[in-house]
Amino acid sequence: MSELLPLAGLLVLDISTFIAAPAAAVALADYGADVIKIEAPGEGDPHRHNYKRAATYPRSDSNFPLQLDGRLKRSLALDLKKPEARPVLEKLIRRADIMIVNFPPPARERLRLRWEDIEPLNPRLVYCSLTGYGETGPDRDRPGFDVTAYFGRSGILDSARYEGGPPGISLPAQGDRATAMTLVAAILLGLRHRDQTGKGCWVGTSLYANGAWANGTTLAGAAIGGRLVTREPPDKPKNALTNLYRTGDDRWLQLLVVRDDRLWSTFCAVIGRRDLETDPRFTDREERKRRARELHAEIAPVFASKTYAEWEGVLSKTGIPFGVIGRAVDVVDDEQARHAGIFAETTNPEVPRTVNNPIRLGFAKPRVSGIPAAVGQHNEEVLRELGHSDAEIAALKKAGALG
Amino acid sequence: MVESALPLQGLKVLDVSSFIAAPAAAVVLGDWGADVIKVEGPDGDPNRRIMTDSANYPKAAVNYPWEMDSRNKRSIVLDLKKPEARAALDRLLKWADIMIVNFPPLVREKLKLSYEDVKPVNPRLIYASLTGYGESGPDRDRPGFDATAYFARSGLLDAQRYEGGPPGVPGPAQGDRATAMALVSSILMALIHRMKTGEGAWVGTSLLGNGLWSCGVIAQAALANAYLPHRPPPDRPRSALGNIYHTSDDRWLQLTIVREDKMWPPLAAAIGRPELVNDPRFAEITERRRNSADLAAIFSEAFASNTYAHWVKALAAGGITFGVISRPQDVPHDEQAVACGAVVDTAIPELPRTLSNPIRLSFAEQRKAHPAPRLGQHSEEILREVGLEPREIAALKSTGAVK
Repeated sequence: MSELLPLAGLLVLDISTFIAAPAAAVALADYGADVIKIEAPGEGDPHRHNYKRAATYPRSDSNFPLQLDGRLKRSLALDLKKPEARPVLEKLIRRADIMIVNFPPPARERLRLRWEDIEPLNPRLVYCSLTGYGETGPDRDRPGFDVTAYFGRSGILDSARYEGGPPGISLPAQGDRATAMTLVAAILLGLRHRDQTGKGCWVGTSLYANGAWANGTTLAGAAIGGRLVTREPPDKPKNALTNLYRTGDDRWLQLLVVRDDRLWSTFCAVIGRRDLETDPRFTDREERKRRARELHAEIAPVFASKTYAEWEGVLSKTGIPFGVIGRAVDVVDDEQARHAGIFAETTNPEVPRTVNNPIRLGFAKPRVSGIPAAVGQHNEEVLRELGHSDAEIAALKKAGALG
Repeated sequence: MVESALPLQGLKVLDVSSFIAAPAAAVVLGDWGADVIKVEGPDGDPNRRIMTDSANYPKAAVNYPWEMDSRNKRSIVLDLKKPEARAALDRLLKWADIMIVNFPPLVREKLKLSYEDVKPVNPRLIYASLTGYGESGPDRDRPGFDATAYFARSGLLDAQRYEGGPPGVPGPAQGDRATAMALVSSILMALIHRMKTGEGAWVGTSLLGNGLWSCGVIAQAALANAYLPHRPPPDRPRSALGNIYHTSDDRWLQLTIVREDKMWPPLAAAIGRPELVNDPRFAEITERRRNSADLAAIFSEAFASNTYAHWVKALAAGGITFGVISRPQDVPHDEQAVACGAVVDTAIPELPRTLSNPIRLSFAEQRKAHPAPRLGQHSEEILREVGLEPREIAALKSTGAVK
């Protein structure tokens, strides 16, 4: 099955940093492309250090984010600011099928890495750029991160809040990784264009446009005056029977008793509050809705008295519907996640499992990843493939162009 | 900009799916030139009614979610439960390049629309399947929605909460639309495969897989037994200078001060409290971190005294960086949203603007959105195109298999 990987034989230059663009390169590598990551000598892509530097990342001794964003790539440490590096880069560009960049436009111009600069070198290249806010406009040069460009600017954080509460929280790289799938689609459309016309092209996307797309329903409504109803906080529900309840172990249970006309009596029995059934305040649906906050005050302490797992046991097979709010700790051992092909084994003893990209193909499986490359690990290998002699390689090293 | 045909021109797509993630993928294919036929049951895709049916949707005079998820599609009504409809469907299957479904596996089997059923009819067909939880496993037949499968089950909502607070709030269809891009990528991979081998293929993705991919950092960390503590609420932040503040007009400002040593005096001045610089509690970074709750209280009071617009101006004047937290109603009017191509004009008079898909190509522009089809608007036209005689069409109509 694996010899049929759809992107086998394609050479990709990943000249990007951090997450959205490198994650797109990972998905291409997962499906067979030969990806060379060109990064700065020494520290390399700053994302290599996020696991110990970024305050928003879980702490670990192993470089777990690199397994996600650096797997299956070869690393070439090339200092693009050094003139000696340019001929090496140009040789690679001439051989490449796809090149991925995420420099803001001015840096791209300074490094002579705009599509206009590159097209003459390889008119068949698919040149892919990721920006925070787009290729033109007042904010085109603004560095964009997923929390600012994908989540903040697009209205997602403002939408994702409870009435009167603070904005929602985005997780590290959450929007970056969703954006990576758009980059993959853009690149594949570019390849199709090349197959049809023989010509390369520019393709791209922005974090802002992806955030706006994800928030599209709300924005399309807003564009014609529709306003999102802010969700009521769980302690002030409109309906106490379709509400969130905190359990004894600080988890949350989503109660979904929509048919309380049928289930009210069962519900009271199951939670051990038969007295509520005869409580004159809650005799029918209308009363229960009208006194939702009073009902909440009765129920909330009950849910707080048992753990989430205990409630799962109590509620299961009673017909009382509730929604699962999973935790990362549970998901990694979720049998269903295994069936859905979400996690994959690696051959890296330090990070033995990783997260697959979400694309599933009947004709090919994503490649198994090993230990991600160290900065410049493949310098000599790549340069020899380009036909450089040992002496030339040594000269590049001496000039500091090669790390 | 347009110098050649749209990259998917000539491809025929059957969108036999409902609601949002899968139909949105069909929209993207249509945006880039594919001829998309929406196959609906006699009652139509329930997404036609979601704006009024769902409490979470902004209400408007125009059915904007339906317009957005069905633009440029044609509609045929086939009652797939009627045996007479099958022959017509098989004609469509022979004609199509791509078929998109989102029936849970059980329903698919009942309707004889699994890939195994369909492949003999058209071995070159690309069959794209979207599920909530994957194609096998204990939950494969559970209907998946983005709130439950993408957000809750994946651990996103649990991770997206403030310490002690309730789970995060997903926006309507937020995960669906992100997932659509993975489905598009998987379809484009299959087109490459078909070009190389002449064979069709099964491809797919799941909402759960996409949710976990987007929170890949958290999931990958959990695989390495590392977990992210919940974020402290805004009234007791880790740093008062990297915190969010409520303004007098119920908006939120995200302070993102990186060079704290340099920016502390201008910040104190900008909020009208220059004397804070001499307050020993806040003298250096260490003190400011130690007393962050006190400092946050002072900042909160200051920011609550004036409007968002005032603070944007005051902070910019002081050269102080902050993240924009836009409201949905701001985005359609944001010049940069137009510049990055997120907000585009339509050919729909009552919905003059909509959200484009986030892919950008140098060689082609997305098709302009034309009105979404009425239920069964193109039934006859489509059946004639695939070669049915008028009397055959009439016969199908008389049995109720076609409307």
